[in-house]
Amino acid sequence: MNELQQTAKDLLEKNAVAVVIGYGMGSEPSLRRAVFVRKPDQAPQLIFDESCRQNLAFYVLKPEVKALGKAAVVARTPTLRTLLQLATENQITDESVVALPVGNGSVQPLTNFAAIEQYLANVPRGFTAQEQQELAAIKSKTLADRWAFWKSELSRCIKCYACRAACPMCYCSKCIVEVNQPQWVPVPSDMLGNLEWNVIRAMHLAGRCISCGSCADACPAHIRIDLLNQLLATEAMQQFGAEPGLSVRKDYALATFKPTDKEEFIR
Amino acid sequence: MAEFEPKVVAFVCNWCTYAGADLTGTSRMKYATNVRMIRLPCTGRIDFMLLLQAFGHGADGIIVSGCHPGDCHYSAGNFHARRRWMLFRELLDFAGIDLRRVHFSWVSAAEGAKWAELVNDVVNQVRALGPYDEFPKRLNRQSLEQLCSVEVGR
Amino acid sequence: MPRIGVFICHCGENISGTVDCAEVAKVSAEFPGVVHSVDYKYMCSDPGQNLIKNAIQEKKLTGVVVAACSPRMHEPTFRRACAEGGLNPFLCEMANLREHCSWVHEKLPATTEKAIDLVRIMVEKVKRNRPLFSINVPVTKTALVLGGGIAGIQAALDIANAGHKVIMVERQASIGGHMAQLSETFPTLDCSQCILTPRMVEVAQHPNITLYTYAELEKLDGFIGNFRAVIRKKAKSIDEKLCTGCGVCFQKCPNKKILSEFNTHLGTRTAIYVPFPQAVPNKPVIDREHCMYFQKGKCRICEKFCPTKAIRFDQQDELIEVNVGAVVAATGYEVKDTDFFPEYGYGKYPDIITGLQFERLASASGPTGGVIKRPSDGRIPETIAFIACAGSRDPAKGISYCSKICCMYTAKHAMLYKHKVHQGKAYVFYMDIRAGGKMYEEFVRRTIEEDEVHYVRGRVSRIYDRDGKLVVRGVDTLLNAKPIEIEADMVVLATAMVAQPDAEELAQKMKVSYDENKFLSEAHPKLRPVEMNTAGIFVAGACQAPKDIPETVAQASAAASKVAGLFSKDELSREPVVAVVSRTGPPEFSNCVGCFLCESACPYQAIEHEEIKTRDGKLIKTVAKINQGVCQGCGTCVALCRTKSIDLQGFTNEQIFAELVSL
Repeated sequence: MNELQQTAKDLLEKNAVAVVIGYGMGSEPSLRRAVFVRKPDQAPQLIFDESCRQNLAFYVLKPEVKALGKAAVVARTPTLRTLLQLATENQITDESVVALPVGNGSVQPLTNFAAIEQYLANVPRGFTAQEQQELAAIKSKTLADRWAFWKSELSRCIKCYACRAACPMCYCSKCIVEVNQPQWVPVPSDMLGNLEWNVIRAMHLAGRCISCGSCADACPAHIRIDLLNQLLATEAMQQFGAEPGLSVRKDYALATFKPTDKEEFIR
Repeated sequence: MAEFEPKVVAFVCNWCTYAGADLTGTSRMKYATNVRMIRLPCTGRIDFMLLLQAFGHGADGIIVSGCHPGDCHYSAGNFHARRRWMLFRELLDFAGIDLRRVHFSWVSAAEGAKWAELVNDVVNQVRALGPYDEFPKRLNRQSLEQLCSVEVGR
Repeated sequence: MPRIGVFICHCGENISGTVDCAEVAKVSAEFPGVVHSVDYKYMCSDPGQNLIKNAIQEKKLTGVVVAACSPRMHEPTFRRACAEGGLNPFLCEMANLREHCSWVHEKLPATTEKAIDLVRIMVEKVKRNRPLFSINVPVTKTALVLGGGIAGIQAALDIANAGHKVIMVERQASIGGHMAQLSETFPTLDCSQCILTPRMVEVAQHPNITLYTYAELEKLDGFIGNFRAVIRKKAKSIDEKLCTGCGVCFQKCPNKKILSEFNTHLGTRTAIYVPFPQAVPNKPVIDREHCMYFQKGKCRICEKFCPTKAIRFDQQDELIEVNVGAVVAATGYEVKDTDFFPEYGYGKYPDIITGLQFERLASASGPTGGVIKRPSDGRIPETIAFIACAGSRDPAKGISYCSKICCMYTAKHAMLYKHKVHQGKAYVFYMDIRAGGKMYEEFVRRTIEEDEVHYVRGRVSRIYDRDGKLVVRGVDTLLNAKPIEIEADMVVLATAMVAQPDAEELAQKMKVSYDENKFLSEAHPKLRPVEMNTAGIFVAGACQAPKDIPETVAQASAAASKVAGLFSKDELSREPVVAVVSRTGPPEFSNCVGCFLCESACPYQAIEHEEIKTRDGKLIKTVAKINQGVCQGCGTCVALCRTKSIDLQGFTNEQIFAELVSL
């Protein structure tokens, strides 16, 4: 057994947690899926490699998972940040979750938010050079070309809301697309509805998105919706110093302000 | 063919810009008829989704205006609004929506002349840009009546 | 189905001059839901209002649109008319055809078209209006006054004399504040204690005032009319009921070398002490940090000599919970100490003192009996230099503001010195003389002209010791910037007036805002100078900004009148334009997911947590709840809420949405 499996086994044996949420083999060798390990002897099901990309944090909010008891989550860096952001937004309480950090050396269980904060303080963050390049490539297009690009991207959207389902920050019990008095977002997956949905989603995640990329991974039409989030995350960082999910401090960038915020666009 | 007349929707706060536009009136200054104002208590109340709705409902241009920083009737609503606008503008621009159709301004209750100037300026700019046909439109008004429920009480 | 009435006003010719009102009325009549549409010359006149009232009755209207002038002008008029006609006033909206249409456009078809649009927008809005009712909040008619200086004293007395209960909290052992330390007051030179001490006694004896000294605010929550405060009464180590204030204890206390705070460290006191002879209450407290019994475990001499056996070494801090309807913050200021100034020796020269220290030297009840003596050797200074703007108006020192009182008290100090030391020489270094105030300028002129004080316009760059003299080096900017050097025996720095060191903490406790200098922020710099942005909390005195005694007293009386106004009714009535959190049926109960990101966006701290529980008390979820007594209806939370669980009454999402649909 590797360290991850051993750690999971120990936690379950000691009854420190009721379930370990992790990655297991999928239906094909290249695929991974979430596994819910509840017995110590199932710990060997747990794997971790480069293909394990899904952000598992959102499972901890599911009533079915909550009903099992305390959960441990196999957590890449974005997952850790998600946990802290969820804590900031009052969705999980301290010591209700154990994080098993992976992909960065040893798997030492992080049993409270302070430990996660401390762990994250030493982990590199920010967008990769490739991600930044992708963003810059779109920004450098002309206005008409950007419109054409997104029109073509969004024309493929079928409003399946897989992006929402995969996003751990999309935990609202009634999403804005389901609010019908008034009906903010048109129901059909036409250009208007698709545009409004994706713009609204990006705005609702601005200052909260921890850039895990799960939304784009989940999109069956392969629309680069993560770029919208990346744009706003970059802006929120540059303009307001917003770095969500690094602490449980209540510092949502859009619920606060500085009198000196930039305003050259206002006449 | 008659020249294109744009439809401009203005989202304004009650205490500064609405009052400023009142002053434009009391001062009998003239400006273009193309603007329709939506009165809200504060710029803090102005949801970015309302701006999208305005385009979806046929606006060719949008004005958003409230109190100058420090003048907010609610002390900080405009500061919160400003942050939202910053991000929203970046997003619109990124998505290829022409920012020359969305104008943000501070117009105080004393700036009646500024209001007239602002409206004329925006109307002229948007007129030059032409109708915003690129932006997808909502269904016809009748079916929207059904989508937007009516409740009446006495 | 809605039954809307539309009333188009000509406003004489103000509207009908450029808008075809009859046409607007005709087209409006065809809007879906409109059952009545008329135009009339003067809608706001009695016959005009009667048109509305009658139509409400006859046509059974469910909503009214008055298309006339600005709602900022006549909305209350028409809403009242509707109420008189039997319609909820909040089912009436106005379309602004005058200021926003007829007055700003020429007589063109487009102007009438716009007028029709404006009516249509409001018809669509009013269809979605709901009856609203004013919000009534009960008011607890007791005020909490924080601080027992002149600001707190004035506010407390005014409120108490208006017939309301007051609880005053003062952190020192006596009320009186800085004013009790002052010698004489500008510009009249009346003795500060003579005018203050009667007021102090009045506070103590007033039947409506409960006084807690040696006490501090521990916690404050609640909202206007309904605050709950927790006051920490620090252990005085005496039984106040038994103590008669005879003073035997502090005569016997062996530890007599403690520097007196009241005397600005120029005199001494004992460990059991009253801060000054006229203290109110005139009962001692034990300073545990200096008491030999508390520090070393033995002594108890005071206990032995106390004739009433009032000493209580085992006394604990006491927490008192009170319900109050309003709070007046009057917590005062501090002055910068001489150690703040590297150029003036970092406080190492004992004969460089602050203005407040000079007050004690000049005071007849002070440590020197009113004789101006050097702290170092007790000699009377023959040459004295006063330096105004020590720290103030100096952005490099982090204090960019003017402390406002220094020009005047420096003139007073120089004058008092000259009155006491006739042959002495007094110099005043100043940047500008700011003597705005009744008889202020005349006072300064008297100092200069009659008392022959030398005013030198320029800053002092350095003070250093040379053979027992303090060399004051500056520049006289009125004499071609000529350097000037004076050998002084004593230097008085008019050090900057600053916020209390814990002002920030207090502001956070009260959830009120403060500026970059930690002074409390008033709600509006011009029109709401004594209110704070949290309703029900008022401000008086130098905790808001530097000010002198008359200004402080005026502000305190203003705050008191605001409190008395608030207390004049049993219930507070408010416009119902407030935010509400929607509730739905089980299992969700509310679409609010309890993220509370709205909490910090609210400028008024009106968002609270509400626990939804099952019948047997099990927590289902925690959701946001708007305190309607506090909410002012800006709607910032509404725009922020992702699930649209919060809506703003009078400007709901449905209403605004409908306005856009009708474009």
